[in-house]
Amino acid sequence: MRGRGGFLRAHTWLIYLFLYAPIAILVVFSFNKATQTAVWQGFTTEWYGSLVHNDLILTSVRNSLIVGVAATVVATVFGTLVALALGRYAFRGEGLTRNLLYLPIIIPEVVIGAALVTFFGVVGLRLSLVTVILAHVVFSVSYVAIVVRARLSGFDRSLEEAALDLGARPLQTFWRVTLPLILPGIVSGTLLVFTVSIDDYVITSFVAGVGATTLPLQIYSMLKVGVTPEVNAVSTLLLLLTVVLIVIAQRLQQPPPEGVRD
Amino acid sequence: MRRRYGIAATLTTALLVIAAAAIATATGCRGGASHEAAAADSAASHEKKLNLYIWSAYMPQDVLDDFTKQTGIAVHFDLYDSNESVLEKLQSGVADYDLVVPSDYMVRILIHLSLIQPLLKDRLRGLENLDPRFLNKGFDPSNRFSLPYVWGTTGYGYSRERVKGTPDSWAPLFDPANKGQILMLDDMRECFSAALKSLGESINTRDAAILRKAADLLKKQKPLVKTYNSSDFENILAAGDVTYAHGYNGQIAKVIAANPGRFGYVVPKEGATIWVDSVCVPAQARHTDAIYAFLNFILDPRVDARIINAISYASGNGAALPFIKPEIVHDPAIYAPEEALVRCEFVEDIGDATELMDEFWTEIKAQ
Repeated sequence: MRGRGGFLRAHTWLIYLFLYAPIAILVVFSFNKATQTAVWQGFTTEWYGSLVHNDLILTSVRNSLIVGVAATVVATVFGTLVALALGRYAFRGEGLTRNLLYLPIIIPEVVIGAALVTFFGVVGLRLSLVTVILAHVVFSVSYVAIVVRARLSGFDRSLEEAALDLGARPLQTFWRVTLPLILPGIVSGTLLVFTVSIDDYVITSFVAGVGATTLPLQIYSMLKVGVTPEVNAVSTLLLLLTVVLIVIAQRLQQPPPEGVRD
Repeated sequence: MRRRYGIAATLTTALLVIAAAAIATATGCRGGASHEAAAADSAASHEKKLNLYIWSAYMPQDVLDDFTKQTGIAVHFDLYDSNESVLEKLQSGVADYDLVVPSDYMVRILIHLSLIQPLLKDRLRGLENLDPRFLNKGFDPSNRFSLPYVWGTTGYGYSRERVKGTPDSWAPLFDPANKGQILMLDDMRECFSAALKSLGESINTRDAAILRKAADLLKKQKPLVKTYNSSDFENILAAGDVTYAHGYNGQIAKVIAANPGRFGYVVPKEGATIWVDSVCVPAQARHTDAIYAFLNFILDPRVDARIINAISYASGNGAALPFIKPEIVHDPAIYAPEEALVRCEFVEDIGDATELMDEFWTEIKAQ
């Protein structure tokens, strides 16, 4: 018995090693003194310091934040509205709407990127930071809608009915009762979308125009001149931000304890 | 800088973009938009603005700052990582770039697709400064569209610690004694170029018998090759995983500079491939005045030398040579020695022979 348990444990650790070793190495090498990444030559934090003085990286971080925040705000509003409509009303084409919602997530990013670039060409919209934001909204709305809809599935309608019975107007009911109850879903959708937007490379590379180099595009163009520890440092920071946001999102996604619902 | 995705990736991108363009033309709702755009364009031609789309590490910021100081023209630049990115952006028809710097083979494609415009030669000052060795090449026979910016070669890097003497030919990469110590670029044309040159043939041959001989040589070489890699070959060399790494000079020069005395670069005496990245004006470019002000600015040998001293590539501006740091000019990993250079060739379109080469390459990789 004992031997078998040991085997299972070893197996588990191997899988984790397989999943996380490359990331761990990236983090470790972001503290490497050598300018070529492959060889360890001692500990330093100078790459994090030099990031602060690298205008190209700082500009790209700023661009990424602008895109992330703008796309997230727009997508959160529209995604939540879609989720509410789907969650509570039966209407013609409801099934179709629900399935269409998954498309932007299922369709390969390359296709979405090419399609968007064509679309912008057809309507004569010059590629810029605005086109990047629009492109990110396209896939973000779906993420928010799906996450919020999941939250709504456990929603107790009698709470809203009670509010209406007690004399609250529909809008009051929405702000005071509905919104607070689905807020964790909205927030976790928001965080999820923000991380996806911050990380996106493929779609962004298609639709980015003048002055729209985001952090992933910047990292990629830096990779092509040789992987510098600066790339590792900025990747580590990006990783950290993503992990923190995902952990918060997951916490919020857990169903509320029973006591709250009763 | 020569960086290429595989043929398949290039084709996929091209197909997607062409399909996209076809839809755009078919729907035809562009008429109104382009009319307005034309009016806006004539105003933009005098606007004090310049949008540059360029390889990363190809243009130092302080040179751009000086240009802005002199002319009042604000320069904005975005970086790309492959020639295919230039193709994709220009094909979108809505990218607002005024200057791009594609490699030779991409210049040919861009001309063919009418995505770049003829240069207004009478507005250019200092064309005579350009190095005649990089003018009037096959991809743009009379330089109607492009001005050479920087150039380089594809040779190989090697570890000085493990190699006795200084290699000067392709032979070590095909020597069974070096089994498991060789890295080759994962690039059909580059591998065939190495094989063809070591056979004393042109890299652009269309002769089936010669191509077969080259393919046989590459097949015989395959068991000796540790890995085919064109994305981070320089790091594999730097880590000591191989002794010889077939590769582009720019990346290997960086390894050499970062590890003084430990690595070297060879442009084999049989010859190799040579590439040149050229400055071109996209067909859709709008800021005409700024474009020619900038081109004249970098045609100045002293300005060009400042750029070269910062980016460490070989210049297409021959007159800049006296102002470039001697350690750059005398570095064979940056400036290929003249005697090797005369046997170097540009990669040209070999027409139907590409198919045969493709077939051989598949055989080699599948072996």
